[in-house]
Amino acid sequence: MKRKVFNLSQRDIFWDKVYQLAKENRNIIVVSADMGAPSLDKFRRDLPSQFVNVGIAEQNAISVAAGLALSGKKVFVYAIAPFIVLRCLEQIRVNCGIMGIPLTLVGVGAGFGYEDSGPTHHLIEDIGILRSLPNIEVNNITDNIMAEKFAELSCKINDRTNFIRLHRQILPNLYREDTDFSKGFTVIKSGKNYLITSGIMTHVGLKIVNRLRKKKIDIGLIDVYVIPIRDSLLEIIDKSEKLITLEEHFLPCGIGSNLAEMLIDYSIKKPLKRIGLPIEKKYCYEYGGWEVIHDYYGVSEEKVEMNVREFIK
Amino acid sequence: MDKYTNSTIVSNLQQKAYQIRREIMVMCAKANTGHLSSSMSCVEIMVSLFYSGIMNFDPKNPYWEERDRFILSKGHASPALYVILADLGYFSKKELDKFAQKGGKFGVHLQKSVPGAELTIGSLGQAFGVACGMALAAKLDRKLYIIFTLLGDGECYEGSIWETAMFAAHNRLNNLVAIVDRNYLCVTDFTENLVALEPLDKKWESFGWEVKRVDGHSFVELLGALGDVKSRKSAKPLVIIADTVKGKGIKNICYNPIWHGTVPQGEDRKKAFEYLKKEYR
Repeated sequence: MKRKVFNLSQRDIFWDKVYQLAKENRNIIVVSADMGAPSLDKFRRDLPSQFVNVGIAEQNAISVAAGLALSGKKVFVYAIAPFIVLRCLEQIRVNCGIMGIPLTLVGVGAGFGYEDSGPTHHLIEDIGILRSLPNIEVNNITDNIMAEKFAELSCKINDRTNFIRLHRQILPNLYREDTDFSKGFTVIKSGKNYLITSGIMTHVGLKIVNRLRKKKIDIGLIDVYVIPIRDSLLEIIDKSEKLITLEEHFLPCGIGSNLAEMLIDYSIKKPLKRIGLPIEKKYCYEYGGWEVIHDYYGVSEEKVEMNVREFIK
Repeated sequence: MDKYTNSTIVSNLQQKAYQIRREIMVMCAKANTGHLSSSMSCVEIMVSLFYSGIMNFDPKNPYWEERDRFILSKGHASPALYVILADLGYFSKKELDKFAQKGGKFGVHLQKSVPGAELTIGSLGQAFGVACGMALAAKLDRKLYIIFTLLGDGECYEGSIWETAMFAAHNRLNNLVAIVDRNYLCVTDFTENLVALEPLDKKWESFGWEVKRVDGHSFVELLGALGDVKSRKSAKPLVIIADTVKGKGIKNICYNPIWHGTVPQGEDRKKAFEYLKKEYR
């Protein structure tokens, strides 16, 4: 029986696809830091020699993966999102940044995905950190269609490392099955002004943009899922008036900063507002779900909508 | 006496060790940099691997798929490896004159782009894990090559070393051979004063490794430990703890941590060359 897609997480869809690909290609290896998923149980059962569990040892996971990759393997390294970036950052820097060994890092629980687990399990700094390393890109996954496509795309990437940033929340699909994600961003709605979002915030942004458009406010929406942002985005926003970025990440060095740097570098003068997590708010110990945490940081749907209206009026 | 402990072979290897030591000293003196003492402690270990027929490799084809891999996890001992690779013909010896200088192809720590170097290594505790990944890949692909990796004893303070050690034993990677250059000195003090590493052999044993302990300056002992490495019956990975002296061959820089990253100057340098000559004449 075909499984229903709507109640599956990005994680399930992503690993299902990797499983299918690995069945056809024995050089695809998953290195897991004691992380599972229903589709990975199947992987471990059917393809045991392609599934390597290193235990809760992220540093070793990256190093072992690098050794496998140097021996011709396509390696997916899987751990909880904050740990796969931060615990073994130097291993990533040396193997992927300095030596350019291509790996696919897969982290589940981007942003506030591990909602009530507290700040140790939140990941709101990684984009800034990884954006400052060469040979690495972040793929912030928006929906299940994209998750599946990036499983496929990852197998074709052999000149850089990509970090697949999976959200833990069950999110609706925004994209059609035949969407081409190779550009690194998608204009979901065109407009005179643009709200530029990524990952889970694209879902928040879409609701806001739809509401504002109903009120005859001319605003479009761009979903950015490859970071650093590709220069080709500038062609799209060149003729726009005002830009707002919205991200579930500390404001310094995030997607808004990325865009601001691009505008400066290309001498494009345009009003830009960055909405994200103010670093002054530090870490959040509020419980009750990711919406509560968003409210703490001032990025709830309501507050963002107010901010956006104020800025483009 | 087996073929590895034949006295002519040992004498030839000793001569080679002398030559390598002298060339390391000349290279570091010229550049005024390089981890001289850390390179000197592992000369016999590396000469054993590269000049006694234990390792399969081809300097004309550095990336030959079936080669045995040598991963210098203590990447700061790169002077020793660079000198050996040049001596074996991986690249011109003229490159040694440009060590860590403008226009040179390599610097103080190991660089992947150098033929024969395998990896860029400078941060301790990492390359051991990469070596382990290579050993796992060889097992998956049913390849017969061996991964040799040389660790510093100070490097064994890194927690990642023990993550890898545990993993290698669990996965029965008996194609992985680690040699610990046990020179007892770190950057500021002797290891046993810093945080005691001993009993180091027991630690490795408890992590599931086959352990051998040898005098790391004795070719007889090193070749005895490495000689049967390709026909081992054990499913365990092998670690050889090689007791060495940091700065070996240059008496005036031994037993003093101050020489960790420093090359002797002036009178000290003169003395260093004299000691080298005296010890191996």
